[in-house]
Amino acid sequence: MEHIVFGIGITALAGALATVAGSAEDTESNIGSQGDPNSQVQLAPQMGFLHRIFNKAVAGEPPAYGLWCCLGAGLAWAFMAMQFNPVLAIVLGCVLATFVQGVYATTAYVGRTASLAKFGQPVYVDILKSMTSVTMAHAFIAIFCTVTLCHLINTALGHPFPLPLLGLIWGIALGAAGSATGNPYYGKERQYQNQKFGAGVPISASGNIVRFAEAGERNSIDNGFFTHKIGGSASGICFGLIVFLELWRTVLFEQVSAGWGAIIVGVLIILIFTVIDRYIEVWARKNYGPYTEAKEASS
Amino acid sequence: MSAVAAKPAAGGAMNPTAMAVGIVMLIIILGICYVVSPGIGLMALIGVVVGGVLIGFGTHFVPVGGAPAAMGQAPGIATGVAMLAAGAGLAGLFGGAWAAEQGLVVAVVTGGVGGGLMMAITCMMVNFVYVFGMGIPSASGKVAKDPITGDTQAEFKSQGTEGHGLPFISFVGGVIGGTLGGAGGTLIYIQLLSLYEEMLPGMMQITEAQVMPIAVSAAGMFAVGLFLVNAVLTAYNITGTIEGPHDPKFKRWPRAIVASAVASALCGLVAVLIVVPM
Repeated sequence: MEHIVFGIGITALAGALATVAGSAEDTESNIGSQGDPNSQVQLAPQMGFLHRIFNKAVAGEPPAYGLWCCLGAGLAWAFMAMQFNPVLAIVLGCVLATFVQGVYATTAYVGRTASLAKFGQPVYVDILKSMTSVTMAHAFIAIFCTVTLCHLINTALGHPFPLPLLGLIWGIALGAAGSATGNPYYGKERQYQNQKFGAGVPISASGNIVRFAEAGERNSIDNGFFTHKIGGSASGICFGLIVFLELWRTVLFEQVSAGWGAIIVGVLIILIFTVIDRYIEVWARKNYGPYTEAKEASS
Repeated sequence: MSAVAAKPAAGGAMNPTAMAVGIVMLIIILGICYVVSPGIGLMALIGVVVGGVLIGFGTHFVPVGGAPAAMGQAPGIATGVAMLAAGAGLAGLFGGAWAAEQGLVVAVVTGGVGGGLMMAITCMMVNFVYVFGMGIPSASGKVAKDPITGDTQAEFKSQGTEGHGLPFISFVGGVIGGTLGGAGGTLIYIQLLSLYEEMLPGMMQITEAQVMPIAVSAAGMFAVGLFLVNAVLTAYNITGTIEGPHDPKFKRWPRAIVASAVASALCGLVAVLIVVPM
């Protein structure tokens, strides 16, 4: 009983860490413009719309976070092998991984923006100086929370994978969950804030992103501030639920019926989310209604 | 041609000669394994090939819209095919590896459920953001009616787009894809772990307890690597975006299965050879 209570406590802590990690990951990627919506940031100067948005999407979020979390976890693991205190080891490992993220962000921004020189897009040094440190700060939070939850899973819950491998796996999962949930909000609601609410962006509007703020030109910190409220929170809830429910069903039900207990609970949770998803879909169809009269569509 | 406008026409054609060459290569690789390690090595390789095929097939189910989905211009999840499939499958591998001590069947099913759970949560949150964050209902651009619910789609597509969000069939496809990916990744891990647990103590002259961390790490790294190989290979077969099992691009799966089997066999052979005394 004591073992299960301890496991539930660790599960709750890991879920909370994952929620913070997911939120910080999405905000970091939006400030750095690393997700799929960055295609529009890259396209805009080619359509004649010069801007002051950061641009570091030389890799997708999942592999990038897989690298940084694996690096942070690997370095923390090495420091622990050198008899460092685990807290200090994780902090040092994550700081070093964040420096790698900073180098990545700097070279990516300069490289991607320089490739747009023929369209007249300048490399803004003040943007580089002010945005990079902000993305690094958010990246540190995301990497630190992910490496810490991996350490808890490894040492407290006894998962067989070594810390660096757990860092790689949960780093990729963090990037996948964060980009899947957060990207539409950054792409549609922020970059195309001038388009109608409640409809997708017409393909003909591609590249015409919003470039001006209440005063002066819009920059990426404005984007992070805006998207954090819904996109960042939703990404955090998404990754937090994934980590929490995966650990919860295993810790509580793994010993029931020789492992089948955790499987049955997992299937039940999937069915619950299926019902919720269907409810959301039907709710939207009923409350928002169709855009046009129903007609026979061509597939 | 943009990713939105991409049609499966020419890229979807099957090439029987290439398929036959692939199958011959697969047989040759299995033959090499049979010669160097006829018992446990061959069994491990067959497990790796089956796992790789499950991953390759499962990736076709995952609804991925890429950059157009991020602007609400196309249905699907706004990220890359390989990366989303890898995220779900590796989450499944995490659960499957945890259950490895409870036997092959329980571990593989646990891995599958873990991958499906990750995709169910992610797909639900995607629709949550579309509906409550952006005020946009789901609509498919590839079919007139949802094959499961029968909901009509065309009138819910906003002007100038190919559709948006995740219709119910795409949600179900995502869960199936995550389940197959998680099960496949776990199968690869379990097969390689069994091989390494058997072979490494004799090779390295150490006890079984000492060999466990090495066996777990090596099998885990190969499983992650094989997952990425198969997911990326399938992403090339899909070429950009796919809505799920109702998308015409889904019909390309036989080609990906042959390619995944050959690639998994080749990578698996390397994983086997590192523990076979020559």
